[in-house]
Amino acid sequence: MSSVVLRIEAQVLIPGWASGTALVLDDTLSFWGGFDPVQGEIVDVHHPQYGLRVGGSVLFIPESRGSAGTPGGIAETLRNGSGPSAFVLGERDVNIGVGALVANRLYALEIPVLTVTLDEMAQIRIDDRIEVDRQGLISVSR
Amino acid sequence: MNLSELDQDRLAGKLGKAMQFAMETIVTAAHIDQVDSLIDISFAHIDACFYSGRAHLDFVNFMLEHDATLAVPSWTNNGLVALNDLSVRDPLASREMDEARQLMQAYVKLGCNPVWTCAPYQLPDRPQLGAHIVGSESNAVSFYNSVIGARSNKYGDYLDVCAAITGRVPFSKLHRDEARAAELVFDVSKLSREILESDLFYHLLGHVIGRRCGHRVPAIVGLAPSCNEDDLKAISAAGSSSGSVPLFHAVGITPEAETLEVASQGNRVEQIIELDVADLRQARTELGADSGRPLAGIALGTPHFSFFEFERLVALLDGRAIHPGLVCYLTTSRHVHQQAQQRGWIESLSQSGIRIITDTCTYFSPAINGLQGKIMTNSAKWAYYAPGMLPVEAVIGSLAECVESAVSGKVMLDRWGES
Repeated sequence: MSSVVLRIEAQVLIPGWASGTALVLDDTLSFWGGFDPVQGEIVDVHHPQYGLRVGGSVLFIPESRGSAGTPGGIAETLRNGSGPSAFVLGERDVNIGVGALVANRLYALEIPVLTVTLDEMAQIRIDDRIEVDRQGLISVSR
Repeated sequence: MNLSELDQDRLAGKLGKAMQFAMETIVTAAHIDQVDSLIDISFAHIDACFYSGRAHLDFVNFMLEHDATLAVPSWTNNGLVALNDLSVRDPLASREMDEARQLMQAYVKLGCNPVWTCAPYQLPDRPQLGAHIVGSESNAVSFYNSVIGARSNKYGDYLDVCAAITGRVPFSKLHRDEARAAELVFDVSKLSREILESDLFYHLLGHVIGRRCGHRVPAIVGLAPSCNEDDLKAISAAGSSSGSVPLFHAVGITPEAETLEVASQGNRVEQIIELDVADLRQARTELGADSGRPLAGIALGTPHFSFFEFERLVALLDGRAIHPGLVCYLTTSRHVHQQAQQRGWIESLSQSGIRIITDTCTYFSPAINGLQGKIMTNSAKWAYYAPGMLPVEAVIGSLAECVESAVSGKVMLDRWGES
């Protein structure tokens, strides 16, 4: 039986409720070009997590990569249902925020986008059970 | 956040659902950027017309269904396909090609000026020095900021359209004076005049700057007086490919850089990097080392070919034919295409074997057939991106080198880049 081991008060960029297992990206990722929004899969051959699918996870992204195509990649993967159930970022990324906001409005979703510090993110382990509320409280169980 | 009365009405839905959605997106972007005020813009260059999935179409259709209108003149970037040439399509992705066309047509319906170009700054009526605008395509953002002195951050998809609908953007980053000061210097004055007057030099310089400047604003000192807008376009495009350079200053040339002191707003610059020939050779190698495979084709016009580049190409080619067996593509805007047509250049270049395409670009489009194997290009941007998107390897050369290679059927390089 898992129990809550950690609570983090995150900054809310886009509010929403979510739960899922933690997935932490080891490197930056371009959501346009490096990511297949149909399968929700990392397709950048240079990425250490090449081939990984992000569907249903709470996706932790320490460092973002500015690309004008990012909002489209985010909205498209959320439309397809192949995307994460929440984004937790190390930087305040407008492109990921706008992509999620547009998908939430168009498809009646409630995918949150939050930011935490890199120290907080470092405490997250892959496959931790994560719950997020609308105020940005992240509960971590393992 | 300090919202005007009109902004509050927009946000409350008093001006319709499309305006409400657009305003909510702008306010959210301001919240994420941590700024508390918005400013008016006078122009937008829209990238969301470039198809990357069904969500793009759903977004613009929502805006159209709720009677959205545009608050400012808004021009379209390249699309995924050529709207006026049905032969430019990928037979394996029929649904995507159809949706890509529908998307482009939807932006025309929304009221955009359908210029379909990544080099909108080559067209008449461009924004003026100090104008707050919305740029999206990375080379155009860099050119507008650097060469014209208009002010834009790099706006991603949807945010560009929401800005055009509301006429508002967050008052952040490059819209503000203090973010525009040069922070480091690239000194090219040790390079020979021959190099400084070569078109290839500017592509390689842009590549080096993109690699080395990080998030700082660079200034370049020592450029030759021959430096023209095509050269500055090359720096804009190459720097935005190998790195992120939404603004650079060319001292003595660009409008906010009469002197280095002006460009740095009187601040001390952090670092001066002197470039030599070895830096340029390394850039050339990074953009494609010669594998010894036979040359398969030539790609010109990334970003879109200018009128002056057409003039140079026609003179360099001098009526000679492209070597049989090579494919040779050139991309340009409809506007410049028409100018070139009036001079008879489209006909003569087509007769030489060059395929001229508008509305799109060759480095990303699955709609362009026949580009595979070793492709030579005059563009650092093409050389940087194409090998990741198409089954090609790239080799970069000056326009003259590309022409001689196209005619002879094998890669012909000048000495300075090689030895």
